[in-house]
Amino acid sequence: MAETKHWTGSEKYLCDPDLAQAFHMARTLGMPLLIEGEPGTGKTELPIHYARDRGLDLEVYPVGSKSNVEQFVARFDHVKYLRDSQIEILNAQREEKGLESRLSTGNRNPESLIDYVVKGPAAIAYSKPNSVLLIDEIDKAPREFPNDLLYALSHRKFIMPESGEVIEVSEEDMPAIVITSNREQELPTAFKGRCIYHYIDFPEKDVMGKIVEKHHPDLDEKVVKVALDVFYHLRRLGLERSPTTREVLNWLKYMSDKSPKEAIEKIQGLEGVGALIKTQADMERVNRLIGAGDNLGTYLN
Amino acid sequence: MFSSLPASFRKHGLKADVRTLLILRKAMQKGLVKTLGDLHNTLKGIVVKEPEDIGPFTKAYYEYFLAVPIAPGQTLEDAILRSETFQQWKTKYVDEADIEVDLTEEDLVNTFLDQVHLTSYDIKEVVNGKEIWDKDDPDLEDKDGQETDGQPAERVLDKMADYSDLSLEELLERMEKVRDQQRSNHSGGSHWIGTGGISPYGHGGAAKNGLRVGGQGGGRMARKVIGDKNYFPVDRDALLNDNNVDAALASIKGVIEESAIEKLDIPHTIKSGLKRGGLFLPELTSEKFEELKIIVLIDNGGYSMAPYIRSVQQLFRKMKTRFAHDLEVYYFHNTIYDRVWIDERRSTYISIDKLLMHNKDYRVFFIGDSAMAPYELSPLSIRNIQAITKKFKKTVWLNPEPLKYWPGTYTIQVMKELVPMFPLTPHGIERAVREMNSRHVQR
Repeated sequence: MAETKHWTGSEKYLCDPDLAQAFHMARTLGMPLLIEGEPGTGKTELPIHYARDRGLDLEVYPVGSKSNVEQFVARFDHVKYLRDSQIEILNAQREEKGLESRLSTGNRNPESLIDYVVKGPAAIAYSKPNSVLLIDEIDKAPREFPNDLLYALSHRKFIMPESGEVIEVSEEDMPAIVITSNREQELPTAFKGRCIYHYIDFPEKDVMGKIVEKHHPDLDEKVVKVALDVFYHLRRLGLERSPTTREVLNWLKYMSDKSPKEAIEKIQGLEGVGALIKTQADMERVNRLIGAGDNLGTYLN
Repeated sequence: MFSSLPASFRKHGLKADVRTLLILRKAMQKGLVKTLGDLHNTLKGIVVKEPEDIGPFTKAYYEYFLAVPIAPGQTLEDAILRSETFQQWKTKYVDEADIEVDLTEEDLVNTFLDQVHLTSYDIKEVVNGKEIWDKDDPDLEDKDGQETDGQPAERVLDKMADYSDLSLEELLERMEKVRDQQRSNHSGGSHWIGTGGISPYGHGGAAKNGLRVGGQGGGRMARKVIGDKNYFPVDRDALLNDNNVDAALASIKGVIEESAIEKLDIPHTIKSGLKRGGLFLPELTSEKFEELKIIVLIDNGGYSMAPYIRSVQQLFRKMKTRFAHDLEVYYFHNTIYDRVWIDERRSTYISIDKLLMHNKDYRVFFIGDSAMAPYELSPLSIRNIQAITKKFKKTVWLNPEPLKYWPGTYTIQVMKELVPMFPLTPHGIERAVREMNSRHVQR
């Protein structure tokens, strides 16, 4: 039976109740969960923490511009196969000439095609019941990739190339599939139709406070408050690239080894704000509007 | 079941069809839908496919299931307060409350939202009336107000709909019946919220019991969504303007074509095979082209085009700064003869032959209203445009003229035959880009 108990986050991960519900629903229905949202809102973290918390196996497929469904499911390693079969001939020739040394095929037997099937994360996840499969940043894939996935996602069955081995999973044992996207390109409608969709809303200040607490439990409350004031103020400026959760966490990490008083001063002086602001234009804008180096406090109140 | 749901949701620009119903049915069978709030969240996961859908979805949901129509620009509070559903719910709520109810409208709306959006995940346990009373005891307030485990303080609702004892068929039947009643009987009262909906009094024995719930109260999100333009789509068919230039940009991103094809590198395979004394191992090369080369041809003659030039330029300038790829802009007047101009004032030009010397990978965007006197579209002009579309397979024409005027303009009709034409709207650009990508350049 698939793992369908409601999961609401772990010690390290604060899961938004809406997201938790969507995730639960996706697992119960055996459908993939497609998560979109601003960068740094913890899309990728969800399956990782879920798998860790529940002690499940996690398979990750980071999508890139060269991804294809073969890498994702399984491919037949023609190069190795050809090499090994040629080695057989070569070894035979060497033997004929009375040469001792032989080339090795590394325990692979060209007779058995299964040795040359390289399984991808999907095939591995499907062969282990109750595993977790993360397809990260699917929007980076070539346009055909999501469409190629459709079949795999709706049939719960893969046929391995050449060897013909069938990997099949029952609806009950479906791995929990989580797909993340940064919306850099539109995904095909048919693809989205097969997923449960959830858009992660940017956390409000109080929720963010809790997220910070999960990551940096030792930080002084006041420091966090001041930092978040600055952070949300920066987000309201309408920058080209708004600072994200991940970045404020990094910023606070930098502050964490300082005394609370010192840290507050540094935060108000926008020290290390490069952790939050990543483009030249934004930096200029921040300087103009807030004036890094000045006391920011007056602007915030 | 809910057979009118897809049509009703589609009216709001959402993608709902039979599959939506099938998934919903499956979700019900799996026990995911126990309360009205569950229904909302489940349906949201199925129907909403991008953040811009959340606004219309909320609207469609309130209209379809709660009979609370939300007019454009209206806040959720206002819509609820004005709805008949709420009035009936209120009467009932006040009636049933044992103690004197002294609540402001705001409190009432909050209670209403709490009840409507209560999900089964929120429910921690069913408590009896005595405990609720204890909870409300002012002396205990401080202790209960404490947040534990980072969870919001527990809230207590005194009633809910408990659908869990109902069979799926019963539930569906009831929902459908309530819907019919609401549609046909304006004065008859909203049974959905009255007895069939939230209140448990019509069914089962949980009547005087309450519930202890956690969670954040689902009404919050709904309230936030209504009136937030981030969750309502910029009109995708409105002509391109400063506001929706970003939306257009998002769709034009599609022109970046990436491919990841591994190919057998024959020369390399032969060379290395010979070196190995005839042991030929296939050598693969990966071919990856991420090129985005664009020629934009803008009609900047005549008054008809004047309003659009700025936004068009803004669009492509944004694009250029964002993607930093090759982008060349030329100008023409009404149609193309033997030359296109390099500057806006049309003082320096390059000939069409020179334009045609560009690499065939370039994508060509014509932008113009294509409205001119028929004689202007001379055989020479037609020949040159054909030459462009022949050389650059990925050529489209974006026309700012509203679609409904197209049939009335002769030259648009002709031009449309020569170049695939799309309206200059975010949606039109999206379709144009898709059309472009469907054609591959032979190499």
